[in-house]
Amino acid sequence: MTSNPDRLNGTPEQHQGHRWYGGREVRTREESIDELLELIWILREKGVTDLNSLLQNTTDPEARAVLNQMMGQGLFEMEGDILKFKEKGESLAEGIVRRHRLTERLLMELFEMSEEEAEEEACKLEHVLSPAVTDSVCSFLGHPPVCPHGKPIPQGPCCKKLTGEMKPLIRPLNDLALGQEGRVVFISTRVKDRLEPLSSFGVIPGIIIQLKQRRPSYVIQIGETSIALDESIGREIFVKAV
Amino acid sequence: MIFNYLTGTYRVVSNYPGTTVEVSSGAAKDNAFPFTILDTPGVNNLIPNSEDEKVTRDILLSETDYRVINVLDAKNLRRGLLIALQLIEMGLPVILILNMMDEAKSRGIEINLKAIKEVFGLPVVAAVATRKKGLEHLFPALKDCPKSTFSFQYSEAIEGGIASLLPLLPPAPISGRSLALMLLAGDETLRPWLEERLKTPEMEQIEAICSQYRKAYPESLSYRINIERLEKIDQLLLRIQSGERVSVQGWGRRLGEWSTHRFIGFVWMLLALFLSYEFIGVLGADLAVGFMEETVFGGYINPFLIRLVKAVIPFGIVQELLVGPYGIFTMALTYALALILPIVGFFFLIFGFMEDSGYLPRLAVMSNRIFKIMGLNGKAVLPMILGLGCDTMATMTTRILETRKDKIIVTLLLALGVPCSAQLAVIFGMLSGFSPWIVISWAAIIAGVILLVGFLAGKLIPGESASFILELPPLRWPQMKNILIKTLSRIEWYLQEAVPLFILGTLVLFVLDKSGAMASLELWARPLVVSWLGLPAESTSSFIIGFLRRDYGAAGFFAMAQKGLLTPNQVLVALVTITLFVPCIANFFVIIKERGWKMALIISGVVIFIALLMGGVVDWGLKTFSITL
Ligand SMILES: [Zn+2]
Ligand SMILES: [Zn+2]
Repeated sequence: MTSNPDRLNGTPEQHQGHRWYGGREVRTREESIDELLELIWILREKGVTDLNSLLQNTTDPEARAVLNQMMGQGLFEMEGDILKFKEKGESLAEGIVRRHRLTERLLMELFEMSEEEAEEEACKLEHVLSPAVTDSVCSFLGHPPVCPHGKPIPQGPCCKKLTGEMKPLIRPLNDLALGQEGRVVFISTRVKDRLEPLSSFGVIPGIIIQLKQRRPSYVIQIGETSIALDESIGREIFVKAV
Repeated sequence: MIFNYLTGTYRVVSNYPGTTVEVSSGAAKDNAFPFTILDTPGVNNLIPNSEDEKVTRDILLSETDYRVINVLDAKNLRRGLLIALQLIEMGLPVILILNMMDEAKSRGIEINLKAIKEVFGLPVVAAVATRKKGLEHLFPALKDCPKSTFSFQYSEAIEGGIASLLPLLPPAPISGRSLALMLLAGDETLRPWLEERLKTPEMEQIEAICSQYRKAYPESLSYRINIERLEKIDQLLLRIQSGERVSVQGWGRRLGEWSTHRFIGFVWMLLALFLSYEFIGVLGADLAVGFMEETVFGGYINPFLIRLVKAVIPFGIVQELLVGPYGIFTMALTYALALILPIVGFFFLIFGFMEDSGYLPRLAVMSNRIFKIMGLNGKAVLPMILGLGCDTMATMTTRILETRKDKIIVTLLLALGVPCSAQLAVIFGMLSGFSPWIVISWAAIIAGVILLVGFLAGKLIPGESASFILELPPLRWPQMKNILIKTLSRIEWYLQEAVPLFILGTLVLFVLDKSGAMASLELWARPLVVSWLGLPAESTSSFIIGFLRRDYGAAGFFAMAQKGLLTPNQVLVALVTITLFVPCIANFFVIIKERGWKMALIISGVVIFIALLMGGVVDWGLKTFSITL
């Protein structure tokens, strides 16, 4: 992310692809464009779309020039003071945000990196991951809907197909052995109405669930609460065995 | 229990207006404290997912000048605090009662009461309500009841949504902030309340803001809100709660696990069924009905009334209206009070027992797979079981189901094939003299029809089926007093709703009979009854009565069977047809109320068609394969 202060203190070895001149960070034009696209997307999620706020939020000293180039490439247009993505820019930004947040998820959930480390790595990987790798990561993680900060991950083609060829460490609750416990990593459901009752019973990422029985219905236990649910719901709750 | 402590013994149980949810109220027994105490249903969330939750939220929204006593299960503090947090967010004066402190302790949970007081700035009472421990601190705490000083921030996007909604909201007994959160969460149940207070452009503006914020969260904003609340609570719990959790394998939990076990669970189910049958069928239908019908009404009340009416009223027609064969006293009231009331009463006792012991949700677990065949889920077992007591009441409780599709299917199945206790009693009475094969075939045919029609309805009716998520409360021995109070309030409901309809039905019959319309109807329906169903022409009147109440119709056949007018084969045909026939007129009215005119007519049409079709098919089958039962 562009606003990450860590990046300014990083060493050249950690930031391959970034050239340094007299201690000041310089990145390639493509990366600058990526960073700005990402920033526009993130600000738009907060409901901020004006140029001034954008300029205030970026650390890129050449932001104006880069933005001019981007406009020339037809990535966005201006309506008065308001920035508006064109189709091309929208899909590029979506891809970057998707890669960034999927990487965060991967690094934090699976490699248990700290938030800062994951953030830093994600910022680098978001520029380089190929579409095929991105979709593999997405499938591996079970097509998570949100990043560890709870921000939505844009969906990719893999999410629509819901493919799962990879053998994941994170697996559906249903795959636990009876009596085994698992920590919920995320809940990936296409049926929105399911999420709310689940969270009302306290089933959210981070919580430990025990699988009590499979037949005639699935029964899980969280602390002192027993909940019966459909097999199809258990398939959408992804856990890491503990 | 805490309610009982606060009010003494006297309480009024009533249904919250327009719902089947029961709310108890009573006056506080402490004279220095002139308040009425309302006992609202237990909830998981104040963004309603169920009728119970909606009622509780509506009470918070409609009452003014009140205090909230929030009872939390000390061993399950996380979920309790989820509610507490929302109450605090509403800006209400709240008292927290940590109940079941003893159980929490035995599970190794240490709770730091001081920390809770500090964090929330609210009075906290630790209690063991079953032993009345700690409750003496409740009245003093109620007297000065401050608002919480606690507040917490959601993530930027949600706070942004709250900020833009706040200026648009009307004043309410709960804070604008909490209203805004409900709206952002997409709470549709709030809409009527808002529409009463706001103009259309404002509503549209609110709508626009909400959908804008909701779009940012593909996984649903309400879920996000819950997560942020729970994360905050988990953070607070680090301060509030300590100790290593020990799993306690008490008897309650073990029985609970057995009751949903894939083998032992079925044994339990059969046992529950058998005990219910013994209780309702033998104690209720045989003994109580026998006593009421023959001794009380047949021996004393009716002869006395007949003599009285004949002595006081000289007009023959009025005499007949009151005490004739279709008389208000001799038919309607005898039937409603002597025949059905005891059965329904015993049924409600059993139902209350299952409800309060926590067994009903387990029944849903056991039957989930069967209901899946019908495009439903295990939750549908509750209205279906209640339908065995009274289809009308059961049709109202279809509101606990989440989707429109589920509600329609259950309403249809109740109307079609679930015989109410009154009808069951008549049917079993009628079958007692015949071969057991009739009972078995009858049960198999009805079950088959319910499954088949449910399956087809699940396929044909458009819309989503709800998913099955159900909490299994711990099994416990229920308080008999609570069951009695509940049963009495349900009997009162039965008397108010059903008895007037019995009288109305009897009046219709009386008029049809006296005006000669019955005879022409019989003539008109004769080909259907005689040629298609193969029944004697006299049974036509039973079907006509069946339009008013199925059990009335069944009673007509009962009388015919007793006189030896029906062969065993005809008994089966008659029973199948009348069981599948339209339910009583009260049920029809409730279907109109719940699902609208059009759906009520469609459902009735489908039901009559299937009933006659199945009757004919059974008759044809028996004749073709020359089976004699
Ligand atoms: Zn993130
Ligand atoms: Zn995917």
